Amino acid sequence: MSAPRVVVVEDEPRIRRFVCDALRGEGCQPIEAGTARLGLDAVGERDTQLVVLDLGLPDMDGVAFIRELRSWSHVPMLILSARLAEQDKIEALDAGADDYLTKPFGVGELLARVRVLLRRRIGEPQPVYRFGGVEVDLARHVVQRDGNEVHLTQIEYRLLAVLLADAGKVLTNRHLMREVWGSSQADQEHYVRIYVRRLRQKLERDPSRPAHLLTETGVGYRFQP
Amino acid sequence: MPAFRSRRGHAVAIVLCALTTLVALPLRGWLDQANIVMLFLLTVFFVAVRLGRGPAVLAAFLSVGLFDVFFVPPHYSFTVADAQYLVTFAVMLAVGLITTHLTAQLAERRVAAQARERETRALYELARDLGATLTFHQAAEVLDRHLVSLGMKSKLLIAESLDQAAELTAYGALRLGPADLTLARCAFDGRRIFEDYAIVCLPFAGVTRLRGVLVVAPTERAKSLPAGLLDAAASLAGITVERIHYTEVAQRSEVDIRTEKLRSGILSSISHDLRTPLTSLVGLADTLADPDQTDRNAEHAAIIRDQAHAMHGMVTNLLDMARLQAGGAVLNLQWQPFEDIVDSSTRLLADILAQRRLVVDLPADLPLLRFDAVLLERVLCNLLENAVKYSEPGATISLAAAVRSDRFEVGIANEGAGFPVGRLEEVFEIFVRGAQEPAAPGTGIGLAVCKAIVTAHGGSIVAENEPSIARVRFTLPLGTPPSVEGEPA
Repeated sequence: MSAPRVVVVEDEPRIRRFVCDALRGEGCQPIEAGTARLGLDAVGERDTQLVVLDLGLPDMDGVAFIRELRSWSHVPMLILSARLAEQDKIEALDAGADDYLTKPFGVGELLARVRVLLRRRIGEPQPVYRFGGVEVDLARHVVQRDGNEVHLTQIEYRLLAVLLADAGKVLTNRHLMREVWGSSQADQEHYVRIYVRRLRQKLERDPSRPAHLLTETGVGYRFQP
Repeated sequence: MPAFRSRRGHAVAIVLCALTTLVALPLRGWLDQANIVMLFLLTVFFVAVRLGRGPAVLAAFLSVGLFDVFFVPPHYSFTVADAQYLVTFAVMLAVGLITTHLTAQLAERRVAAQARERETRALYELARDLGATLTFHQAAEVLDRHLVSLGMKSKLLIAESLDQAAELTAYGALRLGPADLTLARCAFDGRRIFEDYAIVCLPFAGVTRLRGVLVVAPTERAKSLPAGLLDAAASLAGITVERIHYTEVAQRSEVDIRTEKLRSGILSSISHDLRTPLTSLVGLADTLADPDQTDRNAEHAAIIRDQAHAMHGMVTNLLDMARLQAGGAVLNLQWQPFEDIVDSSTRLLADILAQRRLVVDLPADLPLLRFDAVLLERVLCNLLENAVKYSEPGATISLAAAVRSDRFEVGIANEGAGFPVGRLEEVFEIFVRGAQEPAAPGTGIGLAVCKAIVTAHGGSIVAENEPSIARVRFTLPLGTPPSVEGEPA
């Protein structure tokens, strides 16, 4: 298989450069784009496996970029954004972005996210998930922990299934609300938090320091295999 | 009221004259006429003393008439037999009127003196009370209280800005219509007293400039307004307003000086704390760029990364502090489990926590709390970072949370030397640090940010020492979490 093609849309040349260097070191083929327009063109030109996008571009709103790209492509998107811009992150994720990194970030964090997103693209939906002593058999609706069956309520099970299906991806509270409860009222988002807590208590070895059902502060949750 | 009193006075005068006649009539044969005249003059004098000028004049004329009719022959007729009685009548009338005049004048002077004394006392008390006021509101309230006791309502319009054309700010109880305000404005601009049927507008000045307008309206009780008193009240208002103004100016400049000192302290501290890591960043980068020195590149790169992370932490704290202190920060308050931010903050600090033993103690049934996750995560990160900074590798750091009656309490503690003795309060001040500082990098802003964030959430934060343990405890209000509908199991 040839090197995965990754388009890096970032207006700051130094950040673009170190991101591209890191990607090249990981065996990717990075394409640099300084503006949103160039970025969209680069993605459209040839088959692309990943887009790394800075939310603060000078020529286009980041969320508008994501919406436009999502209208004709399912390519995974990793977002770079500033802290305290939770609302921007949530909007970007709800618009179709897959993950985000808060600036400043290190090469290690960047490559970890990139690997997950590239792998996700190749992976097929699995019938059985295994993590931390837990086995979830989606075909038989059975959840086991250390060999013992764990009883989950219908909502807990649905929430777990949604998180597992998008393993590695940050899911916003609004998204989880819509997928599990079928509605997304902002004042009901504590439901998500309460049910994640119940899942942790049933599945995590140390519920106060979860290893798989992780909190993305101010944004949502992520399942880490 | 006065009209009624005067009418009653006249009636009493008539009754007294009639009584005198009735008393003197049986004595007509016994008493000399000169003595009967004396009785009538006594009556007039009495009326003058007790009832005032009008009834006394009436009594004087009535006495002459009654004396003529009942006591001068021929009786029961105005006709006079002897012409010399005319002299008696004239003298009797003259004595009666002069007595009346003198007595009434005396009484009027007494009343005027009493009124002046009341005004003087009122002004004295007004001046005394105004002297104790600290704000325009208080001044207006004192003025109003004193003027109400004198039968007036008042409003204080004050020119608070230097711009004499600017709007006047109104203080006090009197309601003013647009027309009244226009009149007050005219009085202010024209620097003279304006009045209409309802109100009087008196402009007043301090020593330096025109300060405002005192608007006064009589209540039902007092129809006329004492002009001298109002003038005095207006100038007292001027002096008071000017005094309050300059007191405020003085206070403000004192605060400014203190703020300025704090600001320059913060600036010098920030510039020191930013320059130090920057210097090492520049130096280490130069070493990396030198082709002759490549043996320790990886080590230098690691130091550069750590320094940059430390600077990022400091900048984050500074930005949070600025945001919170500007007062414009809107907290993104959401009902959420506290474990979520314990999870995220310990994951953020996984690298530096790896060299310590972290013990997390969270009861499984903690209630949902309402907080800003990003900011409270900052609090936990700062406290955990501090715990690492002030403890040795391998030391235990504990994070415990519990519900205490009406609040939620979190404690983060580390084994170590503890906070400087006697300065447990000060560590939350901006840029105050512990004693062993030179060894530990970072600024003194971390705990100040924690305090600002916790306070913004309605909680409190304290530092405390136990033998070889330093602990910071903070609280959050519990509130009433939203209900969650259950589902069939």
